[in-house]
Amino acid sequence: MKRKILSILLATCLTAGLVGCGGGNSVSVSVTEEVSASTETPASTEEAKELDLSERVDLVFYVMGEAPQDEELVEDEINKILLDKFNATVDMQFSTWTEFQQKYTQEITSQGADLIYIANWLSFGQLAQSGAFVALDDLLNTVGTEVRDLVGENALNMCSVNGSVYAVPNTWAEYTSNGIKYREDLRAKYDLPVPNSLENMEAYFDGIMANDPSQGILTVTTEESTGLQTAFDAAWVLNIKYPWVATNGLPYGLAANYDTPSDVYDYWFSDDFVEDMKMLKRWADKGYWSRSALSDTNKSDAYKTGLCVAEVAGQNPNKQITAIQELEEGGEGWESEYIAYGEVTKAIYPGHATQNGTAIVNGCKNPERAMLVLQAFLCDEELNHLISYGIKGTHYDVVDGIYENLSDTFPYEGFNTWNLRNGDTKLPQKTDVKLQEYFDKYDAIAKTTKFPNVNIYDGFAENYEDYTAERQAVSNVMRTYLAPLQAGLVDDVDAAVEEFRTKVKDAGLDTCREGFEKQWAAYCDAYGYK
Amino acid sequence: MDNTKKKVKIGAAGHAMNAIAFILLTLGSVICVLPFIIIVSGSFTDNTTILREGYSLLPRNITLSAYRTIFKAPQDIFQAYKMTFIYTILGTGIGLMVITMTSYVISRNEFKYRNQVSFLIYFTSIFGGGMLPWYLMYANVLGMKGKMFPIWFPALMSPFLVILMRTFIKGSVPDAITESAKIDGAGHVTIFSRIVLPVLGPGLATVGLFLALGYWNDWYRASMFSVNSKTWTLQFYLYDLLNASTAIKQMSQNSSISTKDLPTESVKMAMAVVATGPVLLFYPFVQKYFVSGITVGAVKG
Repeated sequence: MKRKILSILLATCLTAGLVGCGGGNSVSVSVTEEVSASTETPASTEEAKELDLSERVDLVFYVMGEAPQDEELVEDEINKILLDKFNATVDMQFSTWTEFQQKYTQEITSQGADLIYIANWLSFGQLAQSGAFVALDDLLNTVGTEVRDLVGENALNMCSVNGSVYAVPNTWAEYTSNGIKYREDLRAKYDLPVPNSLENMEAYFDGIMANDPSQGILTVTTEESTGLQTAFDAAWVLNIKYPWVATNGLPYGLAANYDTPSDVYDYWFSDDFVEDMKMLKRWADKGYWSRSALSDTNKSDAYKTGLCVAEVAGQNPNKQITAIQELEEGGEGWESEYIAYGEVTKAIYPGHATQNGTAIVNGCKNPERAMLVLQAFLCDEELNHLISYGIKGTHYDVVDGIYENLSDTFPYEGFNTWNLRNGDTKLPQKTDVKLQEYFDKYDAIAKTTKFPNVNIYDGFAENYEDYTAERQAVSNVMRTYLAPLQAGLVDDVDAAVEEFRTKVKDAGLDTCREGFEKQWAAYCDAYGYK
Repeated sequence: MDNTKKKVKIGAAGHAMNAIAFILLTLGSVICVLPFIIIVSGSFTDNTTILREGYSLLPRNITLSAYRTIFKAPQDIFQAYKMTFIYTILGTGIGLMVITMTSYVISRNEFKYRNQVSFLIYFTSIFGGGMLPWYLMYANVLGMKGKMFPIWFPALMSPFLVILMRTFIKGSVPDAITESAKIDGAGHVTIFSRIVLPVLGPGLATVGLFLALGYWNDWYRASMFSVNSKTWTLQFYLYDLLNASTAIKQMSQNSSISTKDLPTESVKMAMAVVATGPVLLFYPFVQKYFVSGITVGAVKG
């Protein structure tokens, strides 16, 4: 008797457990089912373009990051306008930066939000493919014509997956071109060349070492280089030599030039690679970076505090602007200058459209209204400024066309609505003037490239499900063998290169490359990047 | 009385033994305390000094700027403190009650299905529904997102604590006592509240401390279910400050986001001090129960 009860209990528990485990799957299934359902609904509204606004709709807008202190105050102000115009309200919800990747997918699975921030670093491509968002094509042609015309076909195309548009990008082209940030005051003081090539960089570093032996040169670690392109931060300087399609080349030691993206070539097994490693070894021997660089932690304040005279990895114009401000505040007369690698190689491009965008979450009960509100946020200057900068007079003011913050309680873009930046109406900050100078400079070069203003690589999403194990193994080999090689911590470069090549081949490099190249070729083909 | 006599009896070997024990224990406690002293001194040290010269035992270039940064928005941190206290008190109180009563029931021999129920409780510690269903249950089915409930409720009971308590009750309350109480006409409520509860001191302290520590240190549920900072716990508030800085640093690689005003080394240290302070004050008072309680549970468990 007892045993029977126990076995029945066990059985029920097991099934309960299994049902519980399956829960996650069944949710995503229902999501995909609804895709087809909701893509059909807009068709009916096509005839009746005048939307029925009689029923009040409360929307949730999910964005990344932290909420500002005056969240409610600004929301109330926004909702006053929204209620008046569209009989709708918006509640901003914030992911916070803790476990945000997980929470972001949960938010989509639980269909808690209506409008949601999207970006390529939040796996927009994969999510769109699995049916997380509402296809916007019909909505854009019915209720969202204004925003469609504002954003433009080109940018919308970049946000399309399998032929349907799933997101509305912002309309402010920004350049996040990596480059080298260096101390202009020291360069001028010792009359050194501008570090706009590998030779000049070396001369700049050498000059500073000769004049002030106690001055540190670079504080490079492995932290900016955790991907499959490079393993040590100092190796980022090589970008000044090659007009690659992406920073640090393509994954798995492959590379392609920006002008010929579909023409993939082998970098790790080329003579250039050996030569580059020898150069890095020379730099290491000169003492540009510490012998323990591989195990050091990233000191983001090093440049500001004068521990190093240049930063070469993970830099961009915006970081340069921050550095200018910080050095100014430091009050020691230090100056920072910036050279984007792309300026030298002439392969420069703005961020991809999917860098900052907005999508409508599948399961949203009123996609039309969501689209209307989104359109207003982007196109309506009053609303756009309200949601981006807060209440004029309380949180900010405009002096000579420049944004000026009045209160800590709602900073610039306090709702983290980078996806709602409108290039035409965006209020520049004081620092944006300088930033815009950089952008204009890059824009001029970008226009002369073969693919003007297209960030080719960032639109590509690799699907490595078939070779996850090999990929992991390659990544491990890179950390163990490539990192010391690039950090110049080996005695014999040729032997170390040979060892790295053998090990990485053994790890399954060819499988990864094959898988990657196939997808990359298909991608280039689909978008016409020949 | 004859303490003096006893002391004399300790031989040379005994003295040597004592000396070694004292030295080892002193070393051990120094090793435990040192990191904390470094943290405290780091929190008072100027950030540039930390970066240039590293950490030290005594603060150099003493400044309060780290604490000023943390308490810049004091209403937030006080709100977080308040919520943590509410969750801890609510959770520990209700949790203790629920756990003790459950344990009492499954420790009684006259409850026929005690083993089955124990097994069910134990089973949940091996198999669970998984993260996503758990989240969907609270957020969608119960509609509790943004409320306080899903932050304190899920941690009320843990199988480990129930079994610990059951073992403890079995060990410290002989059946004979409850039986004689029964003969005298006491019902279960009387037996539980007047006979069992009074002898559970160490057990209650242990389980209570486990629960309280769990609530005090929790940030995960606050992170999952909060829609604004009103329901945040202290740990989440501090943890999130750190996470924000890492995330913003990473994001700024690909996007125009200002990386100014990120927490510095000394701010991180100050955060650790602010977060651990109250627990350090609280711990010595329950420690003696904690030690005896945990050994009671262990030996017979």
